Order: sequence, then C-alpha cells, then structure tokens
Amino acid sequence: MTTAVIEIENLRKTFRAWHRPERVALDGFDMRVERGQVHGFLGPNGSGKTTTLRTLLGLVRPDGGRMSILGAQAPRELPAVAPRFGAIVESPQFYGNFTGRRTLRLLATAGGVPPGRVEEVLTQVGLRDRGDQRVKAYSLGMKQRLAVASALLKKPELLILDEPANGLDPAGIREMRDLMRTLREAGVTVLLSSHILAEIEQICDSVTIISRGRRVLAGPVAQVLSRFDSGRFRVRAGDLAAAAAVLTEAGQRVETQPDHLVVSGVADGALIAETLGRREVWVTELTPLAPDLESVFLTLTGTTPTPDRPLQVDDSVRPGAPPGSVDLGPTGSEVPA
Amino acid sequence: MIVNLVRAEVVRLAARRFVGGMLALLLGALVITFATTVASSHAPSQVELDQARVSMQEERARIVQTRQECREAQAKPIGGWPGVDCERQFDPDRVRVENFLDGVFVFAGSIRSLVLFLTAFLALFGFLVGASFVGAELASGGMTNLLLWRPQRLTVLGTKLGVLLAAVLALSVVVTAGYLGVFRLLAEVGGTAGDTGGTFWPDLLWLSVRGILLAVGATALGFVLATVGRHTAAALGALAAYAVVWELGGRIVAEMIRVSRPSLLFLGTYLAAWLDGDIRLHDTRCGFADPCVSFYTITWVESGAVMFVALAAALVATFALFRRRDLT
Repeated sequence: MTTAVIEIENLRKTFRAWHRPERVALDGFDMRVERGQVHGFLGPNGSGKTTTLRTLLGLVRPDGGRMSILGAQAPRELPAVAPRFGAIVESPQFYGNFTGRRTLRLLATAGGVPPGRVEEVLTQVGLRDRGDQRVKAYSLGMKQRLAVASALLKKPELLILDEPANGLDPAGIREMRDLMRTLREAGVTVLLSSHILAEIEQICDSVTIISRGRRVLAGPVAQVLSRFDSGRFRVRAGDLAAAAAVLTEAGQRVETQPDHLVVSGVADGALIAETLGRREVWVTELTPLAPDLESVFLTLTGTTPTPDRPLQVDDSVRPGAPPGSVDLGPTGSEVPA
Repeated sequence: MIVNLVRAEVVRLAARRFVGGMLALLLGALVITFATTVASSHAPSQVELDQARVSMQEERARIVQTRQECREAQAKPIGGWPGVDCERQFDPDRVRVENFLDGVFVFAGSIRSLVLFLTAFLALFGFLVGASFVGAELASGGMTNLLLWRPQRLTVLGTKLGVLLAAVLALSVVVTAGYLGVFRLLAEVGGTAGDTGGTFWPDLLWLSVRGILLAVGATALGFVLATVGRHTAAALGALAAYAVVWELGGRIVAEMIRVSRPSLLFLGTYLAAWLDGDIRLHDTRCGFADPCVSFYTITWVESGAVMFVALAAALVATFALFRRRDLT
C-alpha cells in the first residue's frame, strides 16, 4: 500500500489587488502524490501550477483548503519537515554577485548541512568546474542546475521541482531525466512541474493535470493514456481516396491526411483491412496510433492550437466544479474526486 | 539552528559587494575630511597666541557692555530686547582665545560639527546598506530560496535585521572611536585642543552615542522601507518622496494655513533636536510683536521618544505585513 507524501484538498486562492481585477488562481484544486513516485504536474500557462507549489511551500497564503506535506499540515507545520524536502519554484532566483559555490555554502550554513555536501551536489548537477563563477554569468540552464543543486543539498526524501528543465540544452534535459530516475531508485519522491510533456511521459509514474485552477485528471501515466486510447489507426493504401470513401461508407470516422488516413473508433484493426479488401482496395500500412501525453493534455485542457485564432493564455478549459474532475487513483481505477 | 542562520546572514552581509563599496565610500569620505582639516591647520605660534589673547579680551569687554545694555532695557516698564535671555546670549566666558586663531584646528570648537558630519555619513551608509541588504534579497528571489529552507518568515526576517543592526552598530562604534581619536591626535600635533574641561567630554560622548543610535535607526528605516517596497529603490524613493512632499511641501502648506506649532508635525524637527540636544522654536501662535511672544523647546528625550515610537511602529507593521504577504 502506498502512502501519500503530498495531499492537497479543495485548495483555493484568489489574488486581489486594488489596482487590478481579482484573479482566481486556484478554485478547489486537489492533488495527491504517492511516496516513491515521480509525479508530473501539468497545466497550461497561468493554470495555477506555480501558485499551487508556492502555496504548498508556504510562500503564498491560501484562502481555503487543506494541504499536507510529509504528513505535516502546510503551512503551519512546514518548519518541522523542511529539512526533509527540497524545492525550487519557477525560475531559479539567486543573488547574481555570489558564485554558485558560495550560494550553496550559504544555504548549507543556514540549513545546518555539512559543507562537504556542496561539492557533492555541484558534481551531481555538472557544475563542479563552474562553481567559482558568479551566478550572473551563468546561462539559464546553469542557473537551473544550480537551483536543482540547492534543492538536493539536504538529501531530501521529497523533491519539488517547478520547470527544472527550463532553459536546459538537450544534454542537460537528458541529464535531468537520468537524475530523476536515479533519485526515484534511491527512494526519493519527486513532484515535477513541466511543459516538456515527452519528458513527463518518459520520467513520471503518475500525473495531475490542472486547468484554470481545477484538477482535470489525475492518475498513473499509463492509465491516463489508455483512457484516451480510442482505437485510432494510420492507414496507407494504393488508392487513398478510394480507401477513404470505402471506410466512410462503412461508417468509420476517417481523417484524410496528405499521404495517409487516420481512422478512429475501431476496436480491431483487422476490420479495416477486411473492409478495404472486400472492395479490392489494398492496404500498404496499418498502424495502431497510441495516444501520447501531449495529445491527451491538449485535449483535456482544450489548448490544441487552431489555425484560425491564436490561443490566449486563459483560453484553456475550465473543468466543472469538483467532483467534475477525474481521479484514476493510485492504481488507475477511477475514484470519486 | 538560529546560530546557523545568524552565521549565514553575517557571511551574506560581509560578502555583498554593495556593502564593501559603501564601506569604501564611507571611509574615503572620512579620510578626505581628515586630510582637508590637516591641510588647513597648523600648530599656533607664540605670536599668534598672544594676538589672539588680546583680541579675546577686547571682545569680552564689548560683550560685557552689551549685556549691561540688555539688562537695563529689560528693567524698564516697556522694555526693549523682548524675549532675549541677556545672561545666556551675552556671556563673555564663551569667548575663547581659540576663536581668534586663524587656520588652526581647535578640537573643542570643531569636533561637534565633525561628529554631526560623521553621523550624517553613518546614517546614510546604514540606510543604504539596510535597504540593499533586504531589497536585493527580495528582488532577486534570494529571500524565497531562504524561506524554502527555513519556512519561518519572522525568524528569517528578524535574524536578517538583527545581524544588520548589530553590524552597523559595531561599525559605527569603531569608526566613531577612530574618528574622535585621529582628530584628537591632530589637535596635539597640528592644532590645539581648546577648552575640553567641564562637561565637554561627557557631552561629546553623549553626542557620539546619539549619532550612533541615529545611524542604527536609519539602517532599520532603510530595511523597513525596502521590505515593504520589495526593492532597494523603493526605500530611496520613499525617502525622497517623504522629504519633498512632507518635509518641504507639507511645511510650506502648514505655514500658509497657519497651523499651530507646525514644526511638531515633521520628523526633521525631531532629528535636529536629537542631534542638537534640544531645539528652541518660535511659537507661531504669537507674532513677534505680540505681548504673548514665546518659544518652546523640544529636547532630545522627547524627540528620541517620537522617533523611537515611529520606528517601532514601522517595524511592527513591516513584520506583520511580511508575515502575511504572498511571495509571488
């Protein structure tokens, strides 16, 4: 039986300021992260991801709801568990005139971490030889590595990372992916907010998707993807136009692409070959199309780009009030939200 | 654990380039002040001392005569010299031989102004360093990082303020002691000590202490304004706005609409009283020609109390605000 290390229930936050209209950032949001997992936290820009993390970490005061982290109520009991978790939130923010090494040493001093740990984490994130350079001379990717290093200083059992791959080069992204895997193997729970959905799909055991301050869907990645497996196939044939006509006539949903067809809602691919064969249209390719996290994300959040109108930041889907969202549970079985 | 936080803040403060730069500027300004004084002073010759004594005696005789005229005028039923304290204003003993020594640094006569000068520099240093120490942390996100490590806002901010004030206090004490020492030395080798008897040394010591306390207060003020404004520049802007809008504009308006004792409304008045020991002000409820002409005095105790209460209230409000503020 797994145990939750992060639990968020009905979290609400509205930003109010006299000089601008109030903005509802979180509107009854729920999330649960199980111990030992790498959990992806996805959502369009402005959907409330960073506000959720900042609220969980005591940087933003919630208007309502309940949060716990490593069993402690947040934010009241955060000091008691602070030595057990590491976090970076949004863009890495450090004082530019300090070197990377000095930045980490100061944090280590403030947190009572042995100084030797600084060298370990600098090596771990690939900054060992650039540690004496001023932070303001770092590239965005190097700052990101430094931020991750700062989060790792405490040897945390829970790591909360907001966009850790932001600004990283391809090698850096791969290193980050490997680091996440290493951490998971070491038993560290990771909550990972990211826009790089392919990475999330490769790294994460489970995901929560948020849109406009509410949870859209949560559960193991495999279960989330299978939920959207609607029996889609790519079909190539000698006469593509004839194939499209036959399949449409047979009642299939067909999308015509320049060099292939996408047929959806089909339980068994053999049925397509059989239908076309009967009309002497010969199939040259018949490939099942598995859904990827990107397409699921775009569908769920309603942020699929359209050619006729540029998508605006707040154009994402606003889920119905809870229990309108879906929680697939830790094993993938759907449970009431 | 608080010791670790204090240690980290001490290192952070000492490592900041802005602090180093400001310290260099402070010491540079003090060195220039000293060098200028050295260059314009010389040890008086016996001839100069003799001439100065003659001039002093002539001046004392003139003051004694003026004092007598003052007493006689005030003794008449409809007296002249209204509101003048003849004994205080025309005291021949206040005329000293060093008043007539040109180009000679007189420690007793100049050190008070020099301490005020030092106080201004220390206060400016403290204000800027105080504002920058927290302002840069808030603007760069360093404070957020620190709070992720130590999710105790009041402890973190309080430690930062405590370390800052202790550092400025220690620096002010050392710099003031050194400053007084070098000028006293200069008086020995290139000037004259003047009259340092009576309450001179206790008065000088107390003035120096008030100057140091003012520097510490200015540091806290810079810290408060930058914390509220989340940026170093916010502290500078707030100070400039206060000076222009209230101290200058407000004073003009208060005088135009004939507010009773308008000086009481302005912190600048209390600042002057704190440094001077007391300040005597004309009561604007009476015209100069009216029979009710009077003055009122603000002492360092009253001005200290006003400034302390104002600063304490600002600190409490700032900590309360920081405790509840969203760090986005």
